[in-house]
Amino acid sequence: MKIVFRGLAIAAIAGTVAMCTGCSTIGVKPWERDILARPEMALDASPVDNAFDEHMYFSKESASGGRGFGGGGCGCN
Amino acid sequence: MQLNERGAGDSLRAGLMAATCALLAPVVKAQAPSEDPTQIDTGLLYYQEDGGRVRSLDAIVKLNRDLGDEHVLGAQLSVDSLTGGSPNGAVAQKTAQTFATPSGDSLTRTGRGEHSQVYSIAAGKQPLDTSFHDLRIAGDLSWAQPLGIGNKLAVGAHFSKEYDFISASANGMFSHDFNSKNTTLGLGASAEFDQVKAVGGAPVAGSSYTLFRKQEGSESKRVYGAQLGVTQVIARNWITQLNLSVDRSTGYLNDPYKILSLVNATGVTTGYFFESRPDTHTRKSAYLGNKLALGSSVLDLSYRFGTDDWGIDSHTLEAKYRLRIGGSAYIEPQLRWYRQSAADFYRLFLTAAPTGFMSADPRLAAFTAKTVGLKLGLPLANGQEVSVRLEGYQQDPKVRSSALAGLSGLDLNPRLRAVVLQLDWRFGF
Repeated sequence: MKIVFRGLAIAAIAGTVAMCTGCSTIGVKPWERDILARPEMALDASPVDNAFDEHMYFSKESASGGRGFGGGGCGCN
Repeated sequence: MQLNERGAGDSLRAGLMAATCALLAPVVKAQAPSEDPTQIDTGLLYYQEDGGRVRSLDAIVKLNRDLGDEHVLGAQLSVDSLTGGSPNGAVAQKTAQTFATPSGDSLTRTGRGEHSQVYSIAAGKQPLDTSFHDLRIAGDLSWAQPLGIGNKLAVGAHFSKEYDFISASANGMFSHDFNSKNTTLGLGASAEFDQVKAVGGAPVAGSSYTLFRKQEGSESKRVYGAQLGVTQVIARNWITQLNLSVDRSTGYLNDPYKILSLVNATGVTTGYFFESRPDTHTRKSAYLGNKLALGSSVLDLSYRFGTDDWGIDSHTLEAKYRLRIGGSAYIEPQLRWYRQSAADFYRLFLTAAPTGFMSADPRLAAFTAKTVGLKLGLPLANGQEVSVRLEGYQQDPKVRSSALAGLSGLDLNPRLRAVVLQLDWRFGF
């Protein structure tokens, strides 16, 4: 599985470099952001749901996090 | 209002207004946007496990205050109240078993006072410590602001206190927009400092349960983490996020209340030992999230791969589909699938005198978990929204039985089922 993670990391870094070096075919023009601006399209559109879920799964499972920082700070695991 | 057809001038004006609004909209929103500068999200959650296990009532109040120019202050307060039985790690037997609560120092009933420090488990039942109860209070503060052109800085702090655990942490994330704000690259770090004050004192790891040997003082733990994240707008209706995270914990990583059974060749328990985990734990994860608008509906699809140096690999798939059912009301079916492998040192029970690291904590076992949920959201006047979410969670351990005669027919690591009911109320001013 370390190989899998290493592969994912390399793919992510390669993807990041590709995106950051100006892959102009991906993305939208500034006036095409109407759908992305909808509240439910926000990456954290339901912050309370995410906070409850992080806390619940942190206390019941071994893996946690991923979305961002948070989910820790509990003696439940 | 006249209902006649709009002229070309009106169309142009509307188009220009839409374009202006779009230009001003940030690519990645930390929170759902609102016209009100102050947004309050409140939630109440009831969690109930089957078989007399954990029951919890949690409340969250989350505030976001937009101070203008993309300066956002956030604060969150949460309170959790837990009661019920928690598996102590020992396996079921065909005869009754007796254990001491964490504050106990003997397996003999003293009969002094009304609070017995000894509990008995009936034959065939999973040993649950029913003295488990806690109240957790947690507070979070966050601040986000632009830092030069195309840059953003977000910092946060957390503090929480339980009866036997105190935690304080801080985190920071620097992000930069590329490609006409279609790409955002973020780099963050976090540090967490915990103190464990085990009820009755932390036991000596790996020691015999009946000796009640305790370590002096409190135990501490530190967690340092880092995250690299990329957010990419793929299309007008599709945004994706990739996060690579790593964190390393050092210090006291045992669960002071977990033990293991030592059984003989016939499966009969001959003793119990406190668990013993490594004092370092490094975890890595890759998270891929997507938001895809399909007409008026939105699909939230994510996958997370996790791996750690305890030998636990995990896969998490999650899908939420928000479907509008008239106006701004919506229903949202939610599905989650999770699988993890066991820690290298996980043992359902011991068959020989213990050596090295060992734990029978069900959370370190191999299992698959499924969550099925449904959320209903209803808009109210003045931009308010209430929602209710009902979820069912089921955890199926991979190994639940043994061929040893004394353990045959016993459920040694029972399936866990839980129901969750959540109520949310969002408003702004």
